[in-house]
Amino acid sequence: MSEAAYLIGLGAAGAAALLGATLPARRRVLGAALLSSAACVCAFLAAGQVLVSGHAWSAHSAEVLPLTGVSLSLDPLSALFVATTALVGLATSWYTIGYAAHSAPSRTATAMLPAFLGSLLLVPTASSVATFMVAWELMALTSLLLLLNEHRQRDEARDAAQWYAAMTHVGAAAILLGLLLLATHAGGQTFAAIAAHRGQLSVALRSAVFVLTLVGFASKAGAVPLHAWLPRAHPEAPSPVSALMSGAMVNLGIYGIIRVGEDLLGGGALWWWLAVVALGVVSAIFGALHAAASADVKRLLAYSTVDNIGLILVGVGAAGALAVSGERLLAALALLAALFHLVNHALFKGCLFLGAGALQHATGTRDLDQLGGLARRMPVTAALFGIGALSISALPGFNGFASEWLLLESLLHGFADHTDATVVALLIGVAALAITGGLTAAAFVKALGVGFLGQPRTAGAASAREVAPSMLVGMALLAASCIALGIAPGVLLPVLERATASGLAVRPPSPLRAGLGLDLTGASGAIEPALVLAGLLGALVLAWVLVRLPARRSALRHARTAEAWGCGRELQTARMEVTATSFAEPLQRVFVDVLRPDRDLEVTHVAESRFFPQAISYQHRIDDGLERVLYRPVIDAVSAWGRLARRVPNGSVHRYLAFGFVALVLILVVLA
Amino acid sequence: MSAGTELDLVELTAGVVLACAVVTLWRRDLRALVAVLALQGVALAALAAVLALHTGDVGLGVVAGVVLLAKGLVIPNLLARVVRRDPGSRETTPLVNVPASLVAAAGLVIVAYLSAGRLTSLFPSPMTRLAPLGLATVLVGFFVLVTRRKAVSQIVGLLLVDNGVALVAFLLTAGVPLLVELGASLDVLLVVVVLQVLATSMRARFGHVDLDQLRELHD
Repeated sequence: MSEAAYLIGLGAAGAAALLGATLPARRRVLGAALLSSAACVCAFLAAGQVLVSGHAWSAHSAEVLPLTGVSLSLDPLSALFVATTALVGLATSWYTIGYAAHSAPSRTATAMLPAFLGSLLLVPTASSVATFMVAWELMALTSLLLLLNEHRQRDEARDAAQWYAAMTHVGAAAILLGLLLLATHAGGQTFAAIAAHRGQLSVALRSAVFVLTLVGFASKAGAVPLHAWLPRAHPEAPSPVSALMSGAMVNLGIYGIIRVGEDLLGGGALWWWLAVVALGVVSAIFGALHAAASADVKRLLAYSTVDNIGLILVGVGAAGALAVSGERLLAALALLAALFHLVNHALFKGCLFLGAGALQHATGTRDLDQLGGLARRMPVTAALFGIGALSISALPGFNGFASEWLLLESLLHGFADHTDATVVALLIGVAALAITGGLTAAAFVKALGVGFLGQPRTAGAASAREVAPSMLVGMALLAASCIALGIAPGVLLPVLERATASGLAVRPPSPLRAGLGLDLTGASGAIEPALVLAGLLGALVLAWVLVRLPARRSALRHARTAEAWGCGRELQTARMEVTATSFAEPLQRVFVDVLRPDRDLEVTHVAESRFFPQAISYQHRIDDGLERVLYRPVIDAVSAWGRLARRVPNGSVHRYLAFGFVALVLILVVLA
Repeated sequence: MSAGTELDLVELTAGVVLACAVVTLWRRDLRALVAVLALQGVALAALAAVLALHTGDVGLGVVAGVVLLAKGLVIPNLLARVVRRDPGSRETTPLVNVPASLVAAAGLVIVAYLSAGRLTSLFPSPMTRLAPLGLATVLVGFFVLVTRRKAVSQIVGLLLVDNGVALVAFLLTAGVPLLVELGASLDVLLVVVVLQVLATSMRARFGHVDLDQLRELHD
């Protein structure tokens, strides 16, 4: 039943791609969107059945892929990723209907979006090395084509695509090498065969495989320092694609780490997981800092993806480390928290990227400094974006709060572990969680406050209109899921527990009690977000009543209203408002050594007196410091090598032939 | 036909194939090259025919016919047409001169004999011991490709490689499936047609068919 639904879903995604490629311009967007929605619904149902019943299935077909055949299997861990992708995919598919009316996507883009979606659904179910790599490359290629969609309009898209192509291929090469190494030594290329033989593999080999695959998966997940493509690609891709990339594709990097590290290699050494925690901590802080300093709304969201992936990695690494030292309950709790945060991140980041797309759609820019006052002009978008922002800032009553609380609890309880290195890593993890929490809140206060409140700063923002209903429906689906999971996170617990159990190498006991809220079994700690929210709302109402009641009789009755975000001034103009850049300025000063902003102040004076400036121009740019340190030398070396290598092919046919000839003779001589 | 005669005939024809390859290094007249190539094709077809008679394999007999038709007649005729367009054209200055080429060919034959040991040891028989001849033909063909300047010489080199591969296949497996041989022959025919068109248009555009001058197209 689940198998049939899943395969129908894949078929529908393929059919959607075909329709997108063949139908005439008017119909193709609608046709592709409807069919890919159907694909998502089927995949969601299939994954849901596996998650609820806990019964995995697997299928093999020898016909589809020559030599190796295709092996698919859907266990609860895969199903969690499939379900998340399907939900984000469903919202995105609806969204594209309205989005396309504005941006008129090409035939390729319309066909590639369902293909990308299909590959995203395929990757977590692949259960052999060959199938996995084919699905993985399909995902990389389709997303690359989608990223190139707007390359005619913007040069940055081409640049981003180059970065993405290079990094994703290096990552895929590392994964391929690692998995091939594993398959050769384990004596089989299906995941089941590898997992069955892992006991015979040497520690060195397993470590080599883990490091190779970690490099590949971390680069796909966008973990620092392999993140360089992410803040380029996510902003430059069309918004539905950004939502899918951020809400579904980066998750698969995490999936790969869990699948290979825990399931195939069976846990391994402690230092593997401490390395994962370290990657996570660096990513979380780095991402949150850059997000807080960004003025481009999509760039901000992209860096915030790096941040959240970092938090998830901290959870995954903590789970691995705790499992190695035998703390099965705490390991299960940490992995559960990480998976929960991953699901939540997919939902709110999908919603936020779709919201950013709506902003861009309505105003023509994604620069926060040129927006403002959109809450009045696009109230529904503002509300939905606001729900996403509150969720990502981890406010009680929204889903980000539930998972970050759980993550924090799991790290704090992990201190009971008796390995010093693990305890130190967890301690640093807690600190990272705390600092990113604050920075993320700052970033989204900026996005929401500067973008939606106050007065419009440009004509584009002033003439913004609410976007098409289909776009709002897509965003609303994700926003509603955010609220539902925020108020009653307990409903997802059984599902998460099954996914955790199939993810961890050791079968854990259940870390949480059933219920609407979150209640730890192994340690003290419980929270009922619905009650917290009710309490907060009650306090708000009480405060309002307490202020309003005396106001009826006092001078406050004559209170005047002014623009929000305008410091109460009456003759407020847009020029007087806080901009995104100025909002981030204090943070930038604090973290000047990390962010290294590039500032350029130029004052031209009136000819008569140098005391009266005529014009002041201020330019400000934040480059990625890590990129300058780590990537520049590599790129320079590669281009130098390339220039050198270009001398070898001089256009002479004979020389090219001689290369082949000499190689052939040499091989023959060596073999003889 | 006794087994001894059959083996003698196979040895003879295989030897002719390699000898023809070496002769292409020696001759500079393009017409002579094409004639040598035709002879090589006929020798290859004869070898296939001998094998077919010996084993009584009808498919192999058809293959022999195809080889005779394609490599003995059609392809040499196509090449002869190209050569006839500018009569008297010679491979005047090969990148490696003729005596050095012949010495190199001797070296290549030795390499072929040394490295074919692994192939023949798979299934040692009087027939498979001849496999180095085919390998040597491939290497000599490649050498022609690398060192000769004229477009026609290049085609000849490519065809030598192909004939060498076919020879190895005949000797090692005692017969290629008909379908494979048909496909390979058609491929080669297509390549020759393409190269013929290329050579013609090169002459039309640059006034010569010297591949070395193509270097100017770089960058």
